[in-house]
Order: sequence, then structure tokens, then C-alpha cells
Amino acid sequence: MPDCNENYGSEIYEGKNLRSVKCKFCNSVILTPGTATFTTFEFQLPLIKQTKIAGANPETECVSLFWSVNDMFTFQNVGFSNTVASTKYLTCADCEAGPIGYHDIPSKMSYVALSRVRHS
Amino acid sequence: MAKKTYDLLFKLLLIGDSGVGKTCILFRFSDDAFTTTFISTIGIDFKIKTVELRGKKIKLQIWDTAGQERFHTITTSYYRGAMGIMLVYDITNEKSFENIVKWLRNIDEHANEDVEKMILGNKCDMTDKRIVSKERGETIAREHGIRFMETSAKANINIERAFNELAEAILDKTAGKDPGDHVDRVMVDRRQQSSTSKSCCN
Repeated sequence: MPDCNENYGSEIYEGKNLRSVKCKFCNSVILTPGTATFTTFEFQLPLIKQTKIAGANPETECVSLFWSVNDMFTFQNVGFSNTVASTKYLTCADCEAGPIGYHDIPSKMSYVALSRVRHS
Repeated sequence: MAKKTYDLLFKLLLIGDSGVGKTCILFRFSDDAFTTTFISTIGIDFKIKTVELRGKKIKLQIWDTAGQERFHTITTSYYRGAMGIMLVYDITNEKSFENIVKWLRNIDEHANEDVEKMILGNKCDMTDKRIVSKERGETIAREHGIRFMETSAKANINIERAFNELAEAILDKTAGKDPGDHVDRVMVDRRQQSSTSKSCCN
């Protein structure tokens, strides 16, 4: 899995994000320190860049390390995509790069993939 | 439960003709000829942005009409709960400016009557293609008693300032309604705007 190559141990403090979570591309602040909970499970997250032939079946990768947020207004800055099935994908609010994670509509939980953001 | 991390939540709408640049409110992740981004294919529903005004942490939930305006289907349900509206035209497009009056009528018909409005003349970086003068924008805004600003989403001119001003206007109203909430007159920190103040829009 692509997100297991990096060691994120130092980013977690008492189960929360020690530092700010920012956009990899434009540095927009997505989450302020200590506002999201570290969670692991496997999810097929669409790739940011798709080849045009992908069409209705986007190329995905398995992502397993997430910052979970139970109230969407906890986010400092974030974009929500239109709904796909029971999901809204999360993007950077400023440059719209994404998906950086997803929002699960039934549970109202949001998950930001550690591998798709920067910590600083 | 985690404690609430903000003081106020304002729902804002972006309204205006297609192509005036509502969606590219800021620089966007670039596509190249051979790939497409997953997000640009499915589109964005709304954004959450945080601003701090007078020591209050305010969450802005910003909705875009997402092309609905093409079909003239912007009705009451879209306006429901809206506290602020950014009415956007394109300074290089006469028609989009003329339609501001139509949009104002649509807002009067469907939106809450005390909704805070602001007119934005977007694409002000395109000086060589300008058709609508800044004075005309100011005039129409004055006639309707609405705030006005010229912006460039592409060059990131006045965008943040516009949202801050709209949020501040809503905050004034909100504060007035809540007796436990005194309005102080501390100026909002606009230092970050100083870099844009020498731009074409000022």
C-alpha cells in the first residue's frame, strides 16, 4: 500500500494530529493541530489524476491511514464534491486538488488520507 | 463529543451568469492535455472556509450554483438559509452585467429579505478586454444600496477581502439581534490585503 512507505508515527500525539494538516500543492490549512483522530482501515480512493479513458470507473489506490473528523465544520478549509453513491470526496478549498479523502454521508464522518496531505 | 471549534456559521451563495468565473474563485489545480482530475469531472458542491473577525471564529459554508443558472432553476430551495449572496458579473461581458438586475429581482423573489448582498465585478485582471467600467458597477451597487468590489479570481485580487466584508456585514446583523453580544468597533486585520492593494482593482 502506497501510504505505508512513510512513517507517520511522529505526526500522532495522543491519537490526534500533532501538526497542521495542509494541502500538498498550495499549503492551504485543512485541519488545525489536535482536531482530528488517527484511524486505520482500507478504502479505495480515486487517484487525483485520471487518464481520460477511465470514464465511469476511476482508477483508485488502496489507502489505509486517515485523520477522521466527526463534524464537517471542524475543517479549517475544505471542499466537498458532488455526491457519488453515498460519498462526497474532499478537496483543497483553495486549489481544489483532490480527493484528499472522503465524507461518508450516512455516518457524517469525514476521512482525510495522510498520504494525500502535508503536515507542518 | 468534541467541543465546538467555531463561534458562528454563515451560509453564503455565489450567483451570476455562467462563465463569469464563480467556480474559479481561486487558482485551481491545473489539468494537462492527457489527464483530467477526478474532482473536476464530478464537480464541487460546497466549500467550508474559516475566517476570524473581531475575535470570533466564523465558518463560511459557500455554495455555487453549479450551472443551475443555465436552466433558470434557481429557486427558493437554493436560497433557503442563505445569509449572504455574492452576485458576480464579468467585466469583459456586457450581458452578464445587464443580468445583475435580473438576479437582484430573483433574489428579492426567493431569498430571505434581510439577506446580505454584494456585487462583484470579476476578471478585473483582464484590462485590455474590459467592457464594463468600474463606475457602472459602483453606480448599480449604489442604486440598490449594495456593497461593490472588483475582483480577479485568477490573479487572486480582492477575493479574500470580499468574503471578509460580506461576513462582517452579516456579523453586524447577527450581533445586533443578540443582546448578549456587544458589537465592538475593532478593525479587522487586513494586513494580508496590502499586497494586493496596488492592483488594478484599487
